[in-house]
Amino acid sequence: MADDIRALSTALARDPSSLRYVDLAEALRRRGQLQEAMQVALHGLGRHPGHADGYDCLARIHSDRAELSEARAAWERVLAILPEHLGALKGIGFLYFRQGDVRRASEALEHALAVDPADEATRRALAAVRGEPAPARRSGPARTRAALQPAPEPAPAASVVTAAPATPAAPAAPVAAAASAAPHAPAVSAASAPSARPPVFGGLEGATTDILLLDARGLVMAGGLSAGDGSDVSELAAAALAGVSGEAERTCEYMALGAWTAIVAEAEHANVVLAPASEGAVLMVRRERSTPVGLALRIADRARGAAVRWLQSVGV
Amino acid sequence: MSEQLMRALDRLSRVRGVRGSMYVAAEDGLPVAQLLMENVNGKVLAAFAASLARKVSGAAAATGGGRVRFVQMLSAGGVLLVAGVGGELLVAVVADPGVNVGLARLEMLRAAETTA
Repeated sequence: MADDIRALSTALARDPSSLRYVDLAEALRRRGQLQEAMQVALHGLGRHPGHADGYDCLARIHSDRAELSEARAAWERVLAILPEHLGALKGIGFLYFRQGDVRRASEALEHALAVDPADEATRRALAAVRGEPAPARRSGPARTRAALQPAPEPAPAASVVTAAPATPAAPAAPVAAAASAAPHAPAVSAASAPSARPPVFGGLEGATTDILLLDARGLVMAGGLSAGDGSDVSELAAAALAGVSGEAERTCEYMALGAWTAIVAEAEHANVVLAPASEGAVLMVRRERSTPVGLALRIADRARGAAVRWLQSVGV
Repeated sequence: MSEQLMRALDRLSRVRGVRGSMYVAAEDGLPVAQLLMENVNGKVLAAFAASLARKVSGAAAATGGGRVRFVQMLSAGGVLLVAGVGGELLVAVVADPGVNVGLARLEMLRAAETTA
């Protein structure tokens, strides 16, 4: 990755008007160097003010910085330039989802699905937004592993860009097309893979498949959740739960109920337990429907203990 | 229809420990019918019930858990229960910590069926 950044920096220094600034900004973003990524993106957009992929990248950087209104503005800019930009449609749909605006999230994702009906990640995201069971995976032409990753955010590039076909709206820019295609996929998928996350729940059953720690903004912190087909759905679940802790706290306060200790959801195939960790972080534990709620609560309590210890150890 | 709803809420209010029950529009979190003790804030309960239902439904759907049927939030001073998730109307209850959740759950699912 460092070599990539060096090579991209060199290429850009050689040709400052190159559209490869998007690649460089994206590489920096995925390394977590958000300030540098922002500078590169803004500099590039200064030279190419109508470059949709540049704004798409800028939106992802803002999203990673939890600057959601700026991210939304950047994606809206993309859609003003290219109304069918898949990355922007999915990115903004996910943003609405995180903000609890189900109607707008559905509209954006429906639009994205109309642009690419074979995109399973969008189909799954749309089902989640609507609160419907995840659709069965459709058989069809082989698609990249990355395209089947369902995690559209907080690194929208993961699914958004990776799932996007080379956009026909960037005809004069092969480099820009490359910026919105496959090269993003493996790195981001790997970065968001449960195995790459801190091993907080080691020793607990389902440590990386059924237990998830998310922050108040709906971003994954540790653990992981898998769908029935083994794909990682952590980001999607975390986004769905963005803000739940704050709402629960406020409600308990208004209704004089004291601190909330757990939320249990009984679904058709699973029991889901949520528990507060610290600073708005929430633990989510999923167990089979046959697991008694009392037992699921005990398991969640153990996982919560591990999460709190880990959060303290990292100073959160 | 509203008589039916009120009858269902009346049955729910007879479960020992229930402080208030209400029907809530799932879409916008506004109360539709309610039977609450004096100090229960119905607007807060309704708004939270709708938001919570939407959030946990999204999370459950994303993870292959299927449709959510019943949600309970436990706290030191009471419990909030939500049923009928997935429909147009939710049934929400606030109750004492010691409420018989199983019994309340049965009545709530029955109340949810009233609107199905």
